[in-house]
Amino acid sequence: MSGVLEGIRILDLTWGSAGSMGVLLLAEQGADVVKVEPPTGDPFRAYVGSHVWNRSRRSVALDLKSDGGRKAFRRLLADADVLVESFRPGVMDRLGLGYEALAEELPRLVYCSCPGYPQGHRLADRPGYDALVQAASGQQWEQPGWRPGPTFLAMPMPSMGALFLVAIGIATALVAREATGRGQHVRTSLLQGTLLYTTQIWQHVQHGALAHNTLMAKSYPPGIHQSSIFECANGEWVHASTMNGLPPKRSQDEILGLPDVGDLWTFMALPPEEKRKIEEARAAAFRARDRDELVEEFHENNLGCEAIVRADQQFAHPQLRANGMVATVDDPELGETTQIGLPFTLEGAPGAIQGPAPRVGEHTRPVLVEAGLDDREVDALLAAGAARAFGET
Amino acid sequence: MLALEGIRVLDFGQYLAGPFGPMVLADLGADVIKVEPAKGDNMRPAAAPFFGCQRGKRSLALDVRSDEGRVIAHELVATADVVHHNMTKGTAPKLGLDYETLRAIKPDLVYCNTWAYGKEGPLSDFGGLDPLYQATSGLEYESGPVAEGNAPLYYRFGMCDASNALLSVVGVLLALYHRRRTGEGMDVWASLLNGGSVFTADTLLVDGEPAPRPRLDAAQTGFGAGYRLYETQDGWIQIAAVTEEQWSGLLTTVRRAELADDPRFATPADRERNRRDLEALLEPAFRTRTALQWSWVLDEADVPNEVAIDTVGGQQVLFDEDNVRLGLVTEYQHPVKGLLRQFGQLIDLSDTPGKVQGPPPLCGQHTREILAELGHDDADVDRLAAADVVYAAGDDYTERFSV
Repeated sequence: MSGVLEGIRILDLTWGSAGSMGVLLLAEQGADVVKVEPPTGDPFRAYVGSHVWNRSRRSVALDLKSDGGRKAFRRLLADADVLVESFRPGVMDRLGLGYEALAEELPRLVYCSCPGYPQGHRLADRPGYDALVQAASGQQWEQPGWRPGPTFLAMPMPSMGALFLVAIGIATALVAREATGRGQHVRTSLLQGTLLYTTQIWQHVQHGALAHNTLMAKSYPPGIHQSSIFECANGEWVHASTMNGLPPKRSQDEILGLPDVGDLWTFMALPPEEKRKIEEARAAAFRARDRDELVEEFHENNLGCEAIVRADQQFAHPQLRANGMVATVDDPELGETTQIGLPFTLEGAPGAIQGPAPRVGEHTRPVLVEAGLDDREVDALLAAGAARAFGET
Repeated sequence: MLALEGIRVLDFGQYLAGPFGPMVLADLGADVIKVEPAKGDNMRPAAAPFFGCQRGKRSLALDVRSDEGRVIAHELVATADVVHHNMTKGTAPKLGLDYETLRAIKPDLVYCNTWAYGKEGPLSDFGGLDPLYQATSGLEYESGPVAEGNAPLYYRFGMCDASNALLSVVGVLLALYHRRRTGEGMDVWASLLNGGSVFTADTLLVDGEPAPRPRLDAAQTGFGAGYRLYETQDGWIQIAAVTEEQWSGLLTTVRRAELADDPRFATPADRERNRRDLEALLEPAFRTRTALQWSWVLDEADVPNEVAIDTVGGQQVLFDEDNVRLGLVTEYQHPVKGLLRQFGQLIDLSDTPGKVQGPPPLCGQHTREILAELGHDDADVDRLAAADVVYAAGDDYTERFSV
């Protein structure tokens, strides 16, 4: 094991992508993560994505509703630096495992909670599935689509925000612990995750125009960047973007064999009829071109442009491969898989994928024995159904 | 004590993917100095995205391309814990702001570059904007969805910028943790390209073939009959009938209980295969009542649901009583724009809290204060300002800048 978090033990009780992926960012920088899940398994295991977001950790299957399961969990806690959970507020308290109940005994414990909605919010008792938070936070209504009304976000935005808040919150608490010697309760939520992505759109000021009525306005068809999506030959698509930081050798219009209109601002100032004609000519020119050749020609001329690919085609991108972001993982259930790698790099102490997603209870026995239980005690837990070990019935 | 109290961050970034990370560090209590050109961050004219990435910082307007400017930047680096920026490849070395140069000044420095594509590799010389990475990651294709015959769809949240910045924050924090344990600094990086792919991390190939994953329908309502938006008499409701109990509860509530016995819809796999037929039966049912009425009866049947709300550009969320009380919202006076309201604290730390430290700074608002801390007296600052090495915000501000 290597990485800056070597020696940090995380108990991961989360279900779903937000908590699990937040933990993943830490697991692959060297933390020793134990996923503690029910004997029936984390219910989100049905999703194929869980093979990615649950990797680099061991699995212990314990029934925390049973006395035996809770006692065994307490043994694991004794060596833990971090506990992460994603239950509705109050669930951990009812198990006797709430922050208040543990803090006195374990003053160095960093305890992270990431439910759907924050504790104390009127929505806190509502189910916190991602799409529900999309609806309740208004984010579905913020995204223009192909019909009026809310757009279901195929990218699970609340979770994809909260995952960062989980990792940042825990990392901050670990930094602070080096100064104070104390752990603390780190609380965030999927609702707070959605707010992360309002940075460019929800700014309200007393004087002058801002926010939803300017640059990033909600509009039909949607937005300034949507207008630089073009269809190429064979029904393939590109996203052309005019700047890449280097001085362009030729303009987009020149590459397309069209009269050069000038920059975006010149174009925007033209009369509507003239703009429409130019847009039609551009669309026709893009449709006549092979997508991959066109992307290459844009790049040769120092212009930004990328193929709009299916999600599973992302792994072919040469720069993504150069970044170490395309990994081969031998998954015990799926076989040889291609997945994303580590999305950020600490040059001074690089992390690594520490193994595939474990099977339910794959490490129940060794982890509990490490924590000081003997084999007979583990047998008793298994027999009582308070624990489950993969491969043992 | 604030969580990151005593940590000084120099933010040499512009636009979004650079400055957003340091803003998150400022919210956690770091002392963040935004070092921007004397003519201002290039994002200032677009005030909304600018405001979303700049609060809680002090601004030093400094021409780092001038010899004297570089000397001042280096004086500042000697006092800093973190240097963060999103310059394209080759720019930082030209300005004397590369890691090798700066670690000679501050050996335990944490240095972070948020790239467009990456540190090394075929496109590492290129900058780029958020939409390119909504393309590379598959987001635009899957959100169309193109597979259903629609055009690709761009998400207006600019999330790849944010993702890059947030990855950099995780990296910087872990490097700071390492530094507190070992005394060593290091070089950290993330990229827009990587940030985009985090959002489609549920994608994998099995033996080279794509594994099935949830797919959006052409009408952009959701992933299947039990996990989608339905139009009602007066609006839309999101359903999440994930378990078999919830599914049968849904059918009973919409008075389609007979479908539970229909072999076409017996299992989740059947319902996925015959999704269009099933949805064609449920859609008319939902149109017979209002969204609120459905929500009430679905609640009684324990079927997870939420009415999809139109917040009027975020106003309802940013003025929501619970969100305000819990600190999810912040509001302050901006010297030019009056009251400014935006999202607030997103992480609650019980022992060492964060703090939203104030509005986005004016360009050069803290030039005199920061230079004074470095030992430059007012006469020296006047001389530097006259030579256009620095700019200190003054009476001419609104002639020069919009925000």
